Amino acid sequence: MHTAVRICIILSVLVGTPSLWAQDQAATELLHEVASKGWIAYNARSENGTWDLFLSRPDGSHRLNITNTPDYEEVAPRFSPDNTRILYRRLLQGKPINHDLWGFEGELCISDSDGNNLQVIGKDGEYPWASWSPDGKQILCLTRKAIQIVDLATKKVLREFPRQGIYQQLFWSPDGKWLIGTGNVQGKNWRVVRINAESGELNVVTLTQSCTPDWFPDSVRVIYSTRPENQKSNKGYGWTQLFFADGNGENPQLIYAEEGYHVYGGTVSPDAKYVLFTKFPDDGGGAEGSGAPVYLMRMADAPTIHGESPELRSQYPSAKNGTIAHLFQGWEPCWTYAEIIKEK
Amino acid sequence: MGTLLDIRGNNQRKVVFPNPIPLALSGLLLAGLLPMLVLCLLSCGQKPDSGEDAKVTSMGSYEVTAKLAEIRGEFPDDPLYDYAYLMKYEILQVHRGIIDSNVIYVGHYKPLKPRDGVADVRSGEIGGNLKTFRVGDIHRMALEVPIEDYFLGGIMNPYSEEYSGPVHWAVWTNLVIQ
Repeated sequence: MHTAVRICIILSVLVGTPSLWAQDQAATELLHEVASKGWIAYNARSENGTWDLFLSRPDGSHRLNITNTPDYEEVAPRFSPDNTRILYRRLLQGKPINHDLWGFEGELCISDSDGNNLQVIGKDGEYPWASWSPDGKQILCLTRKAIQIVDLATKKVLREFPRQGIYQQLFWSPDGKWLIGTGNVQGKNWRVVRINAESGELNVVTLTQSCTPDWFPDSVRVIYSTRPENQKSNKGYGWTQLFFADGNGENPQLIYAEEGYHVYGGTVSPDAKYVLFTKFPDDGGGAEGSGAPVYLMRMADAPTIHGESPELRSQYPSAKNGTIAHLFQGWEPCWTYAEIIKEK
Repeated sequence: MGTLLDIRGNNQRKVVFPNPIPLALSGLLLAGLLPMLVLCLLSCGQKPDSGEDAKVTSMGSYEVTAKLAEIRGEFPDDPLYDYAYLMKYEILQVHRGIIDSNVIYVGHYKPLKPRDGVADVRSGEIGGNLKTFRVGDIHRMALEVPIEDYFLGGIMNPYSEEYSGPVHWAVWTNLVIQ
């Protein structure tokens, strides 16, 4: 090899190594910082080949398969407000998980947070898009005709009101005052909208095509994924970015974006200091395959842009190069600070 | 009859058909009459069909025969995201229900696919014998309104700037052949 080439290689390694080392070091520090902050629940492919539910520490350690069912595909666990239970759906083994349809499919299940004491709440397709009420005694469902509030003990519909174009991903705010969902509004589809749980009044949260909304613990802010129209990259299709905004649609802010990846599965920690998300080159978040890599980031590092991302960087010139830490391969994570597993 | 025998030196015989039509006229026939003949054969092969069947006459709250007047824009071809697409129709006949307008806007689910294979959890039971959407075709449809009460999915509305009235939901869509 020519001496000049060797020198170039050595120089590039010498220049690049500290930067890579610093990134690894920063990620390691981030993982240490969160290691004892409760548990993350998520679904992932297990050794039996199906989707199972897992718990892990927020640094990705202590991975526990809490369902381990070769006959079922379990997806989308959500901790109850008191953290003692999880709600999820299970489909028959082999049924593909569609990133947009999973809330309509399979049986609604509720178990203890460690996977014990499973209760199958409904038949296949019943209680679509069920999510917890603030007190954990009811569930919010999205049916073809209406939004329904169902009492878990009696299975009675306590209240019913128009869904106003919402067609998937419906969640009740922790304070009980608001609902957030994805729907058609003002002639546009894929808009995140908020409904006043008392009056039924609707307001638009996002003006770009968006989905997978979820609440911050303060019931004021909303996290969501959005793929703004008119992006030039990715042959004009663009890349999905992680955002948050106030529930009234004001103050939309970028959390994380990276050209070459679609960012989904955004959820914040119980104190809103950290955020989890998935990033994957294919749109859809990897649900139809084996999920996507789940990452952890500090909210204080938002907005962060990684990669070359020339279009994004020109749009957000002051974006940071915040630390992100890879946790595991999975889908739809959620986070509790409660010590739900008694470790020996 | 009407053939000539070409006696070749190698005892091979070629049958030659005399051409009673001048060459120019043959060209005209090929260019003009042949496509007409093909079209005639094709249309003659399709029997008139009112689109009536047990599904279209019983499903939905409304039933119409209508001409597909306009498909504005192009159907996005994105297998990852299913949607209903609004199309403009001119009503020719109302069979069931009361529809006051001569023009209606109808949302069809997964418009790039044949109607008999589009139903899923978002749509509930829908279908029909229509294979493709073509402007000018006449459809017999069972409908519901408004679409938002019956369809749990994204709606692409190219008329949102100019029309804010009720949009019908296509429950069953059959092709009418006149």
